[in-house]
Amino acid sequence: MKTCKLLIVGAGAAGISAALAAWDAGCRDILLVDRASQPGGILPQCLHDGFGLAKYGKELTGPEYVMRLMEKLNRTDIVFLPKTEVLSVSGDQSAVLSRRGVVERLYFGQMILASGCREKNIGALCIGGTRPAGIFTAGQAQERINLRHQDLGDEIVILGSGDLGMIMARRFTQEGRHVIAVLEQEAHYGGMARNYHRCIEKYSIPLHCRRTVREIHGKGRVCGVTVEALDSGEREYVTCDTLITALGLIPERELVRGLEDREWLFLAGNCSRVHDLVDSAVAEAERIGRMAGRRLSV
Amino acid sequence: MERCDVAVIGGGVLGCFAARELSRWELDITVLEAREDVCTGISRANTAVVYPGYDHRPGTWKAEICVAANASFDRLCEELDVSFDRCGSLMLSFGPHADAVLQKKLRQGRENGVPGLRLLSAEETYRMEPSIAPGLSSALFSPTAGTVNPWQLGIAACENAVQNGARLRLNTCVVAIDREEDGFLLKTNHGDIHTRAIVNCAGLAADRVQELLHPPSVRIIPTAGDYLVLDKNSAGRPVHILEYEPEEKAKGLTVVPTVEGSILLGPTERENGVDYATAETGLTRVRELSARLLPELDLGRIIRSFAAVRPNPQHPDGSPIHSFCVEHPEERFWSLIGIKTPGLTCARELGFHVTKQLAKELAAEQKMQFNPKRRGIRRAHGLPWEERRLLAEQQPDYGEIICLCEDVTKAEVLEAIRRGAGTVDGVKRRIGTGMGRCQGARCEQKVAALISEVLGLPESSVLKDGPGSEIVRAAHENV
Repeated sequence: MKTCKLLIVGAGAAGISAALAAWDAGCRDILLVDRASQPGGILPQCLHDGFGLAKYGKELTGPEYVMRLMEKLNRTDIVFLPKTEVLSVSGDQSAVLSRRGVVERLYFGQMILASGCREKNIGALCIGGTRPAGIFTAGQAQERINLRHQDLGDEIVILGSGDLGMIMARRFTQEGRHVIAVLEQEAHYGGMARNYHRCIEKYSIPLHCRRTVREIHGKGRVCGVTVEALDSGEREYVTCDTLITALGLIPERELVRGLEDREWLFLAGNCSRVHDLVDSAVAEAERIGRMAGRRLSV
Repeated sequence: MERCDVAVIGGGVLGCFAARELSRWELDITVLEAREDVCTGISRANTAVVYPGYDHRPGTWKAEICVAANASFDRLCEELDVSFDRCGSLMLSFGPHADAVLQKKLRQGRENGVPGLRLLSAEETYRMEPSIAPGLSSALFSPTAGTVNPWQLGIAACENAVQNGARLRLNTCVVAIDREEDGFLLKTNHGDIHTRAIVNCAGLAADRVQELLHPPSVRIIPTAGDYLVLDKNSAGRPVHILEYEPEEKAKGLTVVPTVEGSILLGPTERENGVDYATAETGLTRVRELSARLLPELDLGRIIRSFAAVRPNPQHPDGSPIHSFCVEHPEERFWSLIGIKTPGLTCARELGFHVTKQLAKELAAEQKMQFNPKRRGIRRAHGLPWEERRLLAEQQPDYGEIICLCEDVTKAEVLEAIRRGAGTVDGVKRRIGTGMGRCQGARCEQKVAALISEVLGLPESSVLKDGPGSEIVRAAHENV
């Protein structure tokens, strides 16, 4: 029977940090699993800097931040299992893990869920019009551009002005694409002021508040969107070939649905609540990791 | 020149079943589908209900075949290895207007021979579906109603037809039909085909296809309807199909607990059904009706909205036709025109009906070695973990998860591609990748990469669905 003392699901900044904190608290026999082939969660695709100011006193890029965590991880005996999906978690403190060629059941003492967020997507919006190609969530676009070097389109409309929306507005602009507008339903942009100054103002990207996309046009590929000014109700057709949605993040904890109140389960990082900064997700994960680690080391 | 005995024009659920029924006979069959895959039109977007048959006037052919088709659905789905849930339906009334409608449906249903129909009190109904809003007056319970995934049914029928010798030609559009000795000459965008007989199942274009050779007899007026989909595991999910008949003079709402576990809500009814585009007003209406009928439903769990198009048949003078139009303008030329609800329920029966007569016209003989059984793609989801372990040991790709929301493995994606899915949506229709709460945000790229790998295409040539739907562009491709 396969067992471990502490199972950590998700090897992003929160999962790795929780693992390290548990290790430091004296816990041994820690298994860290992730579906990706590399650790780091969302950070490897965040090529911009701005991470780590609170924790390291300097601005790191996403990959640099992961490197710092990995340096520490490599000095421990924490087992990292990549390309592994956790299919289910049961009330008897077991999980079914699946990877190429292997499906196995693992019993654990404690579990930390550090599975991050999923992005809210266009499907949830009840938007009018067709469903053509050329619609991406901001995170999906970031992965495709930064990690896969793909070319998504020329004329970009971004719906949502959260941090990810603003960062992608800058990214497209840096790639030589034309960001027609970032649209925000609320009266004020959604993300941090820092990102507004660095990504929007600095590049003179038009950001329109109180506006939203009402209809999507295009048969094979997006060819335009109908934009509504929410205060006047006026609508305007905007020609574009790509629509990026930055509609916000939803903590991803479907895996432990119905088990949230178990005393052996902890949530750490963005799956617990959405953090603005990776440092704050890490701080929370370290606290959780220490707590789980102490419980297990006594 | 390519020759065949029967050309089935249109690879929707009707064309697929026509081909399957024809493949019971010693006939050389070609299915011509204008698009990149089968089941991409009307079959792709509808209410997914297998109707019991109480909606139609007694004595009509529609009533007769709907009841018969419903009765044979379990066997059909078993043969084709397609999930079918005979969950039963409740038609819900909240007042005198709807009570009268229920009475009428009950009378009709009994006369049509619909088994098990019963009028329930509000109390009985709440016991069956506690999440229905207060104020219920009565309900019509129909135990034989069920739900099936419409495109999976069509794809299964198509695979079975091909298994039994039929040919499928995709991206092939019939542009002209000439009469020839012993049959017809079909001119297509990919060359001419000589055929002895035609079965026209061209969906929204069926009237125009018939008019390539014959004067107009039926016109199709497309109308649209909007739907919402709620994620699986949503609170307030009904066990039965609910049909809400509102008191005001307006279209009601159907709630379907789908075989995949999601909840389908809709449809509205509006004009201008073009391009399967949703209307914001329609979606708002579905939300309102859903909240009214099922107050516990969390509409924050909406994961998708889509529009259906219905092919409403009319006489050339503009008056509506209420029956199925099975046209037979000349010997060996059959058309199914304007087949709307319950077309999905009756797809096999319609194919059977046409085949029976066409086989006679062609003096065909029955195929001795016809195999009615088709095996679906082996799914990992839902299996006990020990079985998944064995599966992954035998086929390592069964251990690799591609779509997290719907729990689809690489082995299943590869099998879908092997069976003819050449687009991201083609894979989606066969095994459900991207159908869940992230709507493909996490698996679309992986699926596209597998299509690219298996079919030897650059990723920039992989389509979402139809022409022009490339997902990424060639310029910066990582090579």
